[in-house]
Amino acid sequence: MTELRELARKLLADGTVQIVIGYEEGPKCVRPSFARDAAGADRLIFDDRCAHDLAAYLSPRRLPVKRQGRVAVVLKGCDACALAGLVRESQIKREDVVVIGVRCGGVKADPRSPGPLSESNVADRCRGCTVRTPTHVDHIVGPETAGHPGPSSRDARIAEIEAMSQEARWKFWMGHFERCTRCNACRQVCPLCFCERCLQDKTQPQWLESSPHARANLAWHLTRAMHLAGRCVDCGECERACPVDIPLSLLNRKVAQVVAERFDHHPSDDPSVPAPVGTFSKEDAQEFIL
Amino acid sequence: MNDATTLSRSSLAALVADLAAAGTRIVAPARAADGGVDYRGIASLDEAVLAGALPRRSLKEYFLPPTEPLLAWKQAGSDVELREVPTKPVPRVVLGARPCDAAAVDVLDKVMGWDYSDELWFGRREATTIVTIACDGGDASCFCTTVGLAPDATRGSDVLLVPAGDGYRAEVVTDKGRAFVAAHASCFVPGDASDTTAFRTAARAKVASNLTADPGKVRAWIDQNFANPLWDEIGLRCHGCGACAAVCPTCHCFDIVDEPDGLGSGVRRRNWDTCQASVFTAHASGHNPRHDQCARCRQRVSHKFAIYPARFADILCTGCGRCARACPGGQDLPEILARISAL
Repeated sequence: MTELRELARKLLADGTVQIVIGYEEGPKCVRPSFARDAAGADRLIFDDRCAHDLAAYLSPRRLPVKRQGRVAVVLKGCDACALAGLVRESQIKREDVVVIGVRCGGVKADPRSPGPLSESNVADRCRGCTVRTPTHVDHIVGPETAGHPGPSSRDARIAEIEAMSQEARWKFWMGHFERCTRCNACRQVCPLCFCERCLQDKTQPQWLESSPHARANLAWHLTRAMHLAGRCVDCGECERACPVDIPLSLLNRKVAQVVAERFDHHPSDDPSVPAPVGTFSKEDAQEFIL
Repeated sequence: MNDATTLSRSSLAALVADLAAAGTRIVAPARAADGGVDYRGIASLDEAVLAGALPRRSLKEYFLPPTEPLLAWKQAGSDVELREVPTKPVPRVVLGARPCDAAAVDVLDKVMGWDYSDELWFGRREATTIVTIACDGGDASCFCTTVGLAPDATRGSDVLLVPAGDGYRAEVVTDKGRAFVAAHASCFVPGDASDTTAFRTAARAKVASNLTADPGKVRAWIDQNFANPLWDEIGLRCHGCGACAAVCPTCHCFDIVDEPDGLGSGVRRRNWDTCQASVFTAHASGHNPRHDQCARCRQRVSHKFAIYPARFADILCTGCGRCARACPGGQDLPEILARISAL
């Protein structure tokens, strides 16, 4: 913690950056923090409740952050993959942001869950994590920590869902989508949902119905999952933000499984790793083309 | 009106069974398929979760659904044929509403009946009897006592049940509530044997300890501080996600869209909307008067604590704390109110 605070204080004092985005103790729980001076730097913390993906604040559309000047940001390995996505897709320049990487031994799925980090409250994405120490960073802080063994329990859940009858699977998903009010929390917290104008906000023509009925909600969530194919870094923010607890990361995980299988692509914190979307390779599987 | 009666747990079960047998729709906090608690239709008391955490979404969706048809249209040549959609609401009883959720409906009556009486809203209001259960003081995000309410507030309720012994002390609040109790007189035993003072006092004290803020002061400050660095600071963490408005019992803004359901026909629908979305104020020209999240956060707080009070002499917030619990960015409305109060 001292290491992180001292670094933040130094970056702010010598004018390298004007704001450090990290984590702080909020009124009820840990939350994003926006340090602009030494006092702010001294509020910074990092622990196993820091589930939030702060790369979302780096989108060029985040005007209040952009106005502050040059930004330093605290990123876990998974969050660094999101930053790499923003760089890869030309949303920001890597040299415009100072990255403070944190070594991470896993975070809680719900930052508010009480007690120490355990197998029962750890975020599923942390099981078998391969990016516990982000590499493409300007600074790295925090102690080496043991991670959580895989495999992801969602893989088993996905297999269960796929084994259901078509009717049961439809019922499962529609039961969840019926609760969706299209508040758009999933989209807004997603670091890779950065479109200036989202498909679902377009009205001429209206590609997607904006009404929160099950039919339109299904179309929205499937469309969003497909738009994140090969782009989603499994930071879990969409699922954490959903106020009605739709298991959105099951969709993204399934798509990621397909992308991994078909294109051998896995989320990476290296911006130079090409994304399958936007890359043509003659080696890509084409047996489905008649 | 304070004619108290006693309703035992077994009588409550019988009451639910009676209502169900008569075909009355019963809505209560109950577990959804995924384990979370929502207000939903129940067929027996066993399904209801009458104590514990607030339902994920507020009660407002039973009066202002997330989406509802307003009319249907069909084009025939150069003519357009409009068809009304049925607006006759079915009678129903809400059992186990939280006091903050019941109060919100009463707060919203003012805007729904302001320059135009919203027939869909009031149709559902009239068809619904709200039986509220006093809460035990909730969690650290609750602040109903700051906005003039309480864990045992009667506002918006027709009948208030206060936990007592193995059942409830039932208080009639409205004429509709009186008629409801009279119609099920066999369940309600006259007289209140149990003293609920200790429960009420403890619940009120628990909520009051969460927040010290003065809504009058907040309103006066907002009126004078349209441009203030506080809004810039608050806007930094906001993702503009709208989860706060989706779970809020008093956020009531809506959008109206025409949705085709075939060639030349479709449905006009009313859908929930939120001032936290950039498109909410985007003009066709491309100009957006609320150009960033700071302005949108200011709007949400101002509407609740200054604009609605100015127009309707009422605060557009019942202190349920859902916005603070739901926010993925850690925005905490009670904290904002405390900060403004201390300025």
